[in-house]
Formats: sequence, C-alpha cells, structure tokens
Amino acid sequence: MDKSLADFALRYIEKRGASYVESKLESHETTHILMKNGTIEATNYEKSVGIGMRYLMNKTLGFVSINESSKEKIKQAIQKSIRLTKKAEKIKEPIDLSHEKIYRESYKVKPRMNPLDISPEEKIKVLQEGEKAILSTKIKTPGRYLVYLDDVTKKYLVTSEGAKIESTIPRVDFYYVMTVKEGSKTSQRYWQYGVAKGIEILKEWNIPKILTDEVKSLSLALKKGKPIKSGKYDFVVGPQVTGIMVHESVGHPYEADRIFGREAAQAGESFINTNMIGTRVGSDTVTIVDDPTLENSFGYYLFDDEGVKARRKVLMKNGIITELLHNRETAVKMGLQSNGAARSTDFDKEPIVRMSNTMLLPGKYTQEELIEGVKEGIFMKNFTEWNIDDKRYQQKYVGSECYLIKNGKLLYPVLKPTLEITTPALWSSIDAVGKDFEGHAGTCGKGEPLQACPVWFGGASIRLRGINLR
Amino acid sequence: MDINQLKNKFIKAGMDDVVLARQTNNSTQIKFANNRVVKTGIELIDQISIFLVKDKKILTTSIKDFSKQRIEKTIKTCSKLIKNLPRKEDYYGIAKGPFKYKKLKETYDKKVDSIDQIDLVDSAINASLAEGTKRTNGIFETHDVDSHLVTSNHVDIKDKQTSLYFSIRSLIEKDSSGHITISSRTLRNFNPGLAGKKSGEIAKLSLNPQPGKTGKYDLLFSPLAFAPLLGIIGEASSAFSVDAGISFLEGMINKKVSNNNITIIDDPYYPNALRSTSFDAEGVPTRQLKLVDKGVFKTYFHNTSTAKKYKTNTNAHAGLIAPEPWNLKLNPGKLSTEKLIQNIKKGIYITNIWYTRFTSYRTGEFSTIPRDGAFYIENGEIKYPIKNIRVTDTMPNVLRSMQDMGNNLTQIRGWEASLPVLTPSVFLKNIGITTPTH
Repeated sequence: MDKSLADFALRYIEKRGASYVESKLESHETTHILMKNGTIEATNYEKSVGIGMRYLMNKTLGFVSINESSKEKIKQAIQKSIRLTKKAEKIKEPIDLSHEKIYRESYKVKPRMNPLDISPEEKIKVLQEGEKAILSTKIKTPGRYLVYLDDVTKKYLVTSEGAKIESTIPRVDFYYVMTVKEGSKTSQRYWQYGVAKGIEILKEWNIPKILTDEVKSLSLALKKGKPIKSGKYDFVVGPQVTGIMVHESVGHPYEADRIFGREAAQAGESFINTNMIGTRVGSDTVTIVDDPTLENSFGYYLFDDEGVKARRKVLMKNGIITELLHNRETAVKMGLQSNGAARSTDFDKEPIVRMSNTMLLPGKYTQEELIEGVKEGIFMKNFTEWNIDDKRYQQKYVGSECYLIKNGKLLYPVLKPTLEITTPALWSSIDAVGKDFEGHAGTCGKGEPLQACPVWFGGASIRLRGINLR
Repeated sequence: MDINQLKNKFIKAGMDDVVLARQTNNSTQIKFANNRVVKTGIELIDQISIFLVKDKKILTTSIKDFSKQRIEKTIKTCSKLIKNLPRKEDYYGIAKGPFKYKKLKETYDKKVDSIDQIDLVDSAINASLAEGTKRTNGIFETHDVDSHLVTSNHVDIKDKQTSLYFSIRSLIEKDSSGHITISSRTLRNFNPGLAGKKSGEIAKLSLNPQPGKTGKYDLLFSPLAFAPLLGIIGEASSAFSVDAGISFLEGMINKKVSNNNITIIDDPYYPNALRSTSFDAEGVPTRQLKLVDKGVFKTYFHNTSTAKKYKTNTNAHAGLIAPEPWNLKLNPGKLSTEKLIQNIKKGIYITNIWYTRFTSYRTGEFSTIPRDGAFYIENGEIKYPIKNIRVTDTMPNVLRSMQDMGNNLTQIRGWEASLPVLTPSVFLKNIGITTPTH
C-alpha cells in the first residue's frame, strides 16, 4: 500500500467537512513460530497493511479502517463512516483535543540483525536449542510450549494539522508455558521476553538458560517446597513481581481515559480520580514512571499515535500521585497538554491511552541487603497467577519461586505463597527499594475491540513490612 | 479474485495440501460512555488466510492485496520459505471432500445493515437511566461476513453471516453497577432497550455494597458470569491444549467430571448462535457433539491430524492448528433464577466476573473477580450487595460442584467471554471465596 493513499484519505475526509483528521498507514511484517513438545506446529509469515483514519466532524469522533488499496473502496468506507458519524451527532459526547506542537519527523530502530533478513529456520533453531536444553535436565516436562514472534512495524501518520511522523520499529518476542512433573504433582509457569531490537537479542537472552533455570526452579519447589503458615511476614519481592505490581496497580489506574469513564464497559475505571493529584498513596521510597523513550524497550516509541512527542511521565513521586497518562482528549479536559500516551496496535484500532514502559525507579540496596534486613519473611522471586479488580484496587499475586527468609538468609523453598492486598496498602508498606532494576515484557490488553499492546513493566526488588500472606 | 485459481497456483508450485479461507468483513461499531456516543467505527477487511503443507512442513500466511503482482510474490515467497522448515511428523493431512452440508438456520439477516444503531443505543441508555442509574457505557457492533473455503482435497463452500453484539454497563456509584450483553445473528429478539433496563436493575440492587468475607459459599452465577468458565472448559477440551499441557481435562475421557444432570453439548446448528457453521476449517461437515454427557467427559475436539494421533476420527472441530468448539451449550434446568436463589441457605449471587487467571492450566487452579452486582444470600433471600471478593478454586472442582441450572439459556459473548457460549444460570456448591487481607 502506498503512503499517498493515507494522504488521499486525509484530504478526502477534510473536504467533507471534518475539523480534524488523522490518517495512519500501518504495516506489520511478522514471523510467528509455535513449538509444542519439540514439534514445530506451524510457522506463520504475514505481511499486513492498512489505513486507519480518525476524524472529528462537528465534535463527533469517527474512525474508519480498511485494508484495501483501491481509492474507490477507501472513499466508500469513508462515506459510510461519515453517514454514521452524522447520525451519532444527536447523542454525541463533544470531543475537543488539546493544542499540541506539530512535528514532522521520522525515526527508526536500527537492528544489528534485521528479523526480515533471517530465515525462519534460523529462528526455529533457537527454539530447538531451548527444547534440547530442557530435555538435558532430565526433569519431567510433560508440557513444553514455546512461542517465537518477530514483527517489523512501519507507520506513516499524517494529520490535518500538518503533523507527519514515520517510524520503523522491529520487535522480538519470546514466550513459554512450562509444565514440570515430580511424582504425581505438577507445576506450571508462563513468562514472556520482548524488546524493540533485532535478532541479536536471542543470544543475549540465552533461551536455553532461561528455560533450564525455569524448569529447575519449578522442580525444586515441587520436590522441596513447603507450604507457609498464613500470617504476617516481612516480604521481599524480585523485579518481576515489582514490575507486575507497578503495571497493574499504578500504570492502569493512572490512565486518564479510564478515570474519565471512557473505558468503563470493559477495561474498567480507577480507584483514583483527577482530584487526587498531590495525594499520598505510597511510601516515600516509591517513585514510578512511564517512559516510552527507553531505547530498545518493548514499549518503545518517540512519537505517539496522535503525533505527540513522547516523554517520561512521573506518575508517582515519593509516594505522591503526580501525573496521569494522557492523550489529547483527556489532557484538554484537565487543561493540560497531552503527555504522549496515545497508542494503537494496528491500523484497524483507534489510538487510546496506553502504558509504554512503566517502572519503579531503583533505590540504593542490593537484593541481598533487602533480604538481610528481614528476621522472618518470604522472598517471592517471581509469580505465576495474578489478577486485580477493574478499579485497580484489590490485587492478588501467587508466588512461583519463593523462599522462607530467617534471620536474613534464604532457608528453603516455599509453595505458592499468596498475597491479596489493596493498592494503597501495597505501596504504603514498602520501606526499601533495591537497585537491581529489570524490565520485563508483557502484552497488555485494553479496549473494545481488544488491543494487545507491547509494554515493559519493571523495577527493582522491594521490601514490604508486616504483610499478610497465606 | 478467483480463490480456486489461487489454490491451483499453490498446487502447481508443489504444495501437498492447500487450504484457503477468504473472509470479507464489513463491521460497524458505536462506542458510548457516560451516556453519550464517544466514537463511531467502520471497518472493511478483505483477506485470504492460507494454510500450506509440503512434505509435512506447515506454513501459514494470508493475503490482502489481490493484485497479480502480490499473488505471484506470495506464491514465490511461500515456496521458498516452506522448503527448509522442519517436518511435523504427527501431521496427517486434511479431510478429503467433497462433502454435502446441512443448512444453517438464522445466520444471516439482510436487515442488519439498515438498522438505526444510534436509536437503539439511545433507547438502551434511556432504559437504564429510567431505572435510576447515572452513567452508562458500552458498545454496539454489527458484522456482515462473506466467507469462502476451498481446499486441495475438493472442498469448496461459501457462507454468509451477520451478527450483532450489544454490551451495556450501567453505574450509579463506582461500586454499584450492572452489566448485560446481548448477541445475535439476526434481529430476532435483539433488544438493547431491555438490556439497558436489566443492567440498570442490577446497578440499583447493588447500591452500597459491603466488603465480603473469606470462606466457602454456594454460588449462583448468572449466564454472563458463568460464560467465561464454560468457555474455559471448551478451550481445555481441545486436543491441542491437552497435548500442550495446558488442559485440566487431560486423561479424563470417559471419566466422571460432574453430576448426572450436567450435559454440555457442542451444537454447530443452534439457531441464531454466533459460532454456527456447517463446516470446519478443513471443510468437514459439522455435527452435534456431546462433550459432557450426564456428568461424564466424552471427547476432545479434533481435526484430522489430532484425531489420528488419538486413534479416532475427526469430529469436525478443525482449527487447522488447534481444534476449537463451535457453540458450546450447557443444558438448562427447570428453575428460574429466583427459585434457585430461594434454594440457597448461605451463598453469593454473582452477575459478572473479570480478570480470570490461572496458577496452572493443567491443574485448573484459578481465580476470578466478581464485578458489578454481587449479592449475599441467606435463607433464600438476597440480603445485601457485596464487593472486594475473589472466587478462588479449581476448574475440576467447579465442574464437580455444579448442582443445578436455571431455565434461562442465554447466548453470551463479552469482554471475558471472548468465546461465545450458550449457558443458563449455574448453581455451584461450596466454592472458595477470598478477600484482601489488607
């Protein structure tokens, strides 16, 4: 599909009386490989492209998407959309957008090894090496599900205000579901790795080691893990756990469109509201940011899908709510500028407020120092099950690789300690933050139709005091 | 673009098996929030999904640009890519046609294209507000899909489908809400106004909820609340899931999983149902299948390859990679929801759930969070609404604990129920409820 079609679509909608138009041509070239118990189930190669157009007509928002390159079909789709948008005017929410600086920029993430230059069989070899490594542990693994995905996304965004943003971002993604058996008992864990980088990441990740470490950890917990007694503990969690806590109970509730009720039907709302800027919701050790500009991060971008320049947002500073995640529509409601949080995952999805890379900023302690400061407690290195309610107020984390701490030392593995806690209690209980920062990949779901967005969630190890676990 | 010609080109290029599925999808969407329309959407997607096998090596792709140039390039690229892929030794081909197909009932309604969606959204919002709610949010979608499936094994079948989906969540306060979804293939009985009213009624009943308490309770799930769990049972029944180690139904064929009054059928011919189809992804004619028969688990879902591996025959549930259900239906009971409530000594009535996650898909340990109206029941009466609870148990125990069903069989599709199913209200005994400890 030609970029000029995006320009054509923009002009066509403008001529029909739209006060604002965005037209985005987006293409994805992807390879997707599924391996189940050592067998490649399928290799998928896709090249998809289409145009998504968003516009305001008498303050009514319309969106139209098409994957055809015929100008006639594009016109027909736009005409149909405008008819529907005009009908909706009588019960519309009048939409305003914040005024933003106009940019005309292009940027690329240049991979050392471009995914498009590497054959699928080379990528399959990496999974096969992982499979070989798992089997070499001789641990019983009745379920080994490995998924490899790479994607090169090209976007061409133009707006009626004169913005023009072009970007090319490669992403590499690896995901597994591992099941281990000891005697009659089984244990399972799934985890994901992802970056905006080239295939060179596969060596850096060292997939065979990732998988053997996982399998050994699951097996150890099954063989030697003991259940904990329900009660109050001091609690140290590793960066993976910190990251998911940050994502679920800070990133999400700070999405301004959620706070304004736009996503209430599915993604839910928030326990916080716009009057809570400046309110303390955590201890002063806690500072959490969202930053799309982190190089090679999974949620990386430099301009959002409204053409607004991306920047770091400080959501919580020393435990106090500082900033929300905004697009142009939510920003203007609060008399602010957008902070560049509008993302859409493909041409056929409208841009909505999303996280990018949401992280607890590191502190000054090593993980060992955090553990040394615990007389009796639990160390949760990583987790398996988790969930949170739709106001992002009460959440649950079930540990996978976990240990009892006694007098500052890890004693033995413990089985699936479970934390169910409210968000204010969680962030207020932290008394120390580590410096062992890690970013972990996720595919975050929001929106109807669902948009699965690549993000990082991250942080360092943290210590919480006096937490009820069971 | 002649899909049969494309198929022949792939065969000429040396492919052993070719499955091409073309779908032309015309969709509309109205999104509303805080009682107003916040977005309209139009989508036009035309694509051919391509499944190719050469020497047991499998490659999938799709094509959206039907120009001669793009088609030739795709054939060349696929021929090059497939050569060096590893073989899938347990691939056993695709079904051999041609086949005869039964007619489906109520899957296409030409009036869907001309309905006044805005008026219907407006009527639903007003019906909810008339119940005393303050805010409504939701979505209204319509789809008009033409599909055409051809295979290198003499299958050639076309289909036309329409569908409608309406979701409305009504809120009074942040903690008081009700949610109803309705889905249909045709306009018959499709009533957004009634959905608005019902969601408003739930919201009203759920005012001033109290925090729930940890413990074991009898639970009554509304159709919207049970639908995701029924969908999970369906996904766990795929032979693919069993092989991948992500099914709690592994090793359960012909074993008792539930009580004698529990029967789950997969019915691809259910009138007006969203996943009704007369053919599977290989073109095999579909048929009704008993998944759970009077409490006994009977079969996994199969395609040709998984069936051969399990030494049985395909039961027309391809999914070329992973077999899948069509219309999963939990047979209803005789009692109304009100009567079921009257039979509960101490329990909770749950109208919706959210964020279902697993500790292990293999053991079925999971939890899910009741959302919108959840009500504490004592001695057959709703006492008060509750909040901040979590259903924490295992799927095998959910199956074992199913005691009775309501007479309100309802088609459900929703945010958590991405696999549409047909379910009534379901009463379960002695299920775990947990609450935050801080």
